[in-house]
Amino acid sequence: MAPPLPPRSAVSGDDGGSGLLGRYAAERATGTLRGPNGCVYLSEGAVYCVECPAVPGPDARLTAAGRLSAPSRQRAAEAAGPQRRGGRFLVEQGWLTQGELEICQLGALLDAAFFVLPLAPGSTTFTPGEVHWLGVVRSVSAAALQEATARRRALLDRLRPWAAVDQAPVVPVDPVASEGWGRSRGPGGSQGSTGAVRPAVTGRQRRLLEHADGRRTPYELAHALGQSAYLTLLDVRGLAAAGLVRLPAAPAALPRRRPGASGADRRTAAPDSAPRWHLPDPGVLETADPDIALLARLRTALEENL
Amino acid sequence: MAQMEKALAEAMSTIEGAIGVALVDYTSGMALATLGDNQTFDLNVAAAGNTDVVRAKLRTMEMLELQGSIEDMLITLTAQYHIIRPVTGKNGSGLFLYLVLDRKRANLALARHRLARLEAELEV
Repeated sequence: MAPPLPPRSAVSGDDGGSGLLGRYAAERATGTLRGPNGCVYLSEGAVYCVECPAVPGPDARLTAAGRLSAPSRQRAAEAAGPQRRGGRFLVEQGWLTQGELEICQLGALLDAAFFVLPLAPGSTTFTPGEVHWLGVVRSVSAAALQEATARRRALLDRLRPWAAVDQAPVVPVDPVASEGWGRSRGPGGSQGSTGAVRPAVTGRQRRLLEHADGRRTPYELAHALGQSAYLTLLDVRGLAAAGLVRLPAAPAALPRRRPGASGADRRTAAPDSAPRWHLPDPGVLETADPDIALLARLRTALEENL
Repeated sequence: MAQMEKALAEAMSTIEGAIGVALVDYTSGMALATLGDNQTFDLNVAAAGNTDVVRAKLRTMEMLELQGSIEDMLITLTAQYHIIRPVTGKNGSGLFLYLVLDRKRANLALARHRLARLEAELEV
């Protein structure tokens, strides 16, 4: 169910403002662009909805937050009618405020766009006139959406060495073992016993750890919690980098990140031509050796500053 | 005018010295809503640029393991105040409010108070 992440060429911005979406936007088209990973809804060239099965939509977010029951959602979809004003119906019934609807809808749009864009010209079809049942709640320009998506991709790519956790069940590392790092530094350590190297966790990451049952993947957790799939990937990769989430046992080979490889020219190179490396042995991040654990986190910090 | 802009407009009209205000997603830099005179101050550019400020500060807080969360950040220019306030929805929405104030006319304490109320109104 999880889509493969789009090619890295999107990072270099060579799709920015142009591409298939840009072309239909320039023609002020109204209808849907259906690609391999999902569907982009256009109204007079502006994007007002993006759907991707791997990402919780606005209705799933509202249901998970307890703001909208499944029957109410169903009634709204039925009441939307040919004019497709499901969004207006939800607000008129007093089930949602217009502001809640707008924030949820834009959040879901941004989230889905990350997985759906860029649209592949060979496998995308345009259906003129097709409309989403929620109707046009808010819309954004295609160029702004492509820019936002490129920035999100660059941010996630900083944690590329931990991409193996994207598709695997999220398994938290035994907290006792990770506490051992701080303790094993001992009073003789230059950092003292307060353990300045203990990995820190954000509130959202803590919530993910609480819900990680060792079976659900980041995408499934995003659906269960009704939150952004992109932010979930970012958080889970961050947790893996901090050694708090286990790397899957059989990691796939990834293109090697070389010094200076962050330049746009390098990114356009075909991944096959790049030298390959294998993810560190998953056991490495669980080691009780404080020096190795420190090195792993130091590398994360350095990559984040690239 | 959509609801988000309405909420921002209300905030602008009740905050003395407000020049512009925006609601921004801090992983993509996209402004979900902006209000203000874009001739004097391009809020979309400010929104995208300030995502790095927010992320850096959040990251620093994590590294320091400080208890509590960021309520707001104040950046003081010679002629302006910029206040950044992360939106703390229960879903960890990844949004922040960005308010630009004219330093000569603004009352900082009142502006912060009003921005906190705006955040509560926008919370999902």
